[in-house]
Amino acid sequence: MTFDPLSLAPYLGDFLAGARLSALACALALAGALALGIVVALMRTAASPLARRCAGVYVDVFRNVPFIVQLFFLFYGLPEIGLELDAFGTGVLALALAGGAFTSDVIRSGILALDPGVLEAAQVSGLPRLAIYRRIVLPIALRTSIRPLGSVFVNLILTSSILSAITINELTGSAKIVASDTFQPFEVYALLLLLYVAMTWLVSLAAGALHRRLNRHVAGDVA
Amino acid sequence: MHDTGFTHHDLVLLLQGLGVSVGLFAATTIIGLALGTGWALLRYYRVPLLAPAVAFLAELLKNSPVLVQLFLVFFGLPVLLETDLTPVEAALITLSGNTAAFVYVIAVSAIESVGREQLETARVFGLGRWQTLRRVVAPQAAAFGVGPLTGLLVNQLQVTSLISVIGVVDLTKAGAILNVRTLAPFVVWTVVGLLYYLVARLIAWSCSRLETRLRAHSQWKGL
Amino acid sequence: MIEIDGVIKRYGANTVLDGVDLRIAPGEVVSILGASGSGKSTLIRCINGLERTDGGAIVVDGHRIDDPKGLQRARRCCGTVFQSFNLYPHLTALQNITLAPTEVLKTPRRQADDEARALLAAVGLEERAGAYPAQLSGGQRQRVGICRALAMKPRYLLLDEVTSALDPEMTADVLAILARLAADGTTMLFVTHEIDFARQISSRIVFLDQGRLLADLPTSEFFAPDGGLAQPRIAQFLSKMKK
Repeated sequence: MTFDPLSLAPYLGDFLAGARLSALACALALAGALALGIVVALMRTAASPLARRCAGVYVDVFRNVPFIVQLFFLFYGLPEIGLELDAFGTGVLALALAGGAFTSDVIRSGILALDPGVLEAAQVSGLPRLAIYRRIVLPIALRTSIRPLGSVFVNLILTSSILSAITINELTGSAKIVASDTFQPFEVYALLLLLYVAMTWLVSLAAGALHRRLNRHVAGDVA
Repeated sequence: MHDTGFTHHDLVLLLQGLGVSVGLFAATTIIGLALGTGWALLRYYRVPLLAPAVAFLAELLKNSPVLVQLFLVFFGLPVLLETDLTPVEAALITLSGNTAAFVYVIAVSAIESVGREQLETARVFGLGRWQTLRRVVAPQAAAFGVGPLTGLLVNQLQVTSLISVIGVVDLTKAGAILNVRTLAPFVVWTVVGLLYYLVARLIAWSCSRLETRLRAHSQWKGL
Repeated sequence: MIEIDGVIKRYGANTVLDGVDLRIAPGEVVSILGASGSGKSTLIRCINGLERTDGGAIVVDGHRIDDPKGLQRARRCCGTVFQSFNLYPHLTALQNITLAPTEVLKTPRRQADDEARALLAAVGLEERAGAYPAQLSGGQRQRVGICRALAMKPRYLLLDEVTSALDPEMTADVLAILARLAADGTTMLFVTHEIDFARQISSRIVFLDQGRLLADLPTSEFFAPDGGLAQPRIAQFLSKMKK
């Protein structure tokens, strides 16, 4: 039984390159997931039953089908209908679509938790609906949703490891290569595990700090 | 070249894969539930050394990708322990541990949801620690925990799809085999997705039935 | 002119407004009195479109509020002040006031800010322009609420029990501001429990009982023994409020 983590030192560069790719994929996917999540959340809280139904189906499907199946569907399926997207692009798309379902849950909760009186004040002042969403509903809902959104981002980071299954050399993919080069899979994957734990822990801390910063003036109910 | 037609053998392959997925899901759920609840009890009884150790282990398992955990167990452990591990064994170990970590968190909060005064009342009536746990805490904690547990189980079903990456011929692997042979990704992955979706719905439905029964039971106790 | 004709409002089997007719002309200060559950707040909420009527019509300056475009135009004519203030928690006092003018009237930012500061100064809050609602007392929040309603330069001011959530000291401050507005000629429709205040500043008193209008009289006549007080329900109500 041998355990020699220090022998991995020369491969640090590979790990970093992989980490950079992971970070890029996750950042892009998060942006996409947020945009999608806001739209879907608004649809789910809309007055129109059709909008609610469509949005509901989307969330239902993406929550009950494994991510790797969604990924393979897009990776193998899109070229069939003429959409030539490289592996990285497909990966980011898949992450954004899945992430959107979860962020829409969080934002919807934030919207529903809005003080109805505040909404009424906005309505009677003659503000058009778009302005109410843009200046009142979303700013407040997003502020209260920072922590749960942080959890979704953590989930996104963990899920991004699955992108290694479609030949993207993000962090996990790079680690696989290092493991086969060094014949020390235990050290490599143990290190990989700890790296992910460190990343998610940092994200949680950042989310907490951001939440405190954005909400420092908003002491909840003002009635 | 390639066989584009679908035969009933393909259906058999898919169903076999489904059987493997569901079987592993069931086994790891049972083990994970037992393990996770056991860890929660360690915390409840404040067992020194073990309680903080499992808390730390649970944090590691919750905040790292399941794929990496699979790689660590399947590729890493055999080298470290100089033994052999089949893909199914590795899958069992990893998924049980992962499920246990999340069950631990749910169990801890479920046990804590039972009010202090219940424990004091039981003590006044002369019930021992174990009896209190079995007759007072457990039923109420179970009723409380079924809700979050449902979400966890549905999620863990999706997670089983990752065992295909280490070679277990589950539903996802069966889909990959069919995909390569028939080159009809839209059909294959839609069917695979649909099968996972249906099982997930079945699990959610069963859990909500269970929750109704558990809650009815505790209401009756209130009489 | 606010024209309310035969308005009916039901909540399930409960009829809250049972055929109410009312006219408010510019320059009038009208108080709506009545017991809890008499439909007073509901009437105000029907005028600014927060509740849909089940019968009858409401027209504000010629705009029918059962028509979406008409409702938007009617809302621009009316300013509402709420019992629970309903300030936007994520915006400062100044931003609360300038939001509607900049978004709806397209007032330039600089001008909107100046006008908002003037409004805040008139209620004694010019130093608190940059404060957030969570940092203000109840009375201060309500004063900001009044400024916010006035910022749109409405023809009619709707006030729904605006001092009920305040302690006596803050209530006095707010009532003083409202009295000043009335004296300046602002058209106001009050729902209030403050009988003495209503008596002081209103030109007209309206009494609602179980969704019906029992009296609609000039103030002096309402409190006269052969006028409003002649009605047993009104006399009963007023004596209870006197305590």
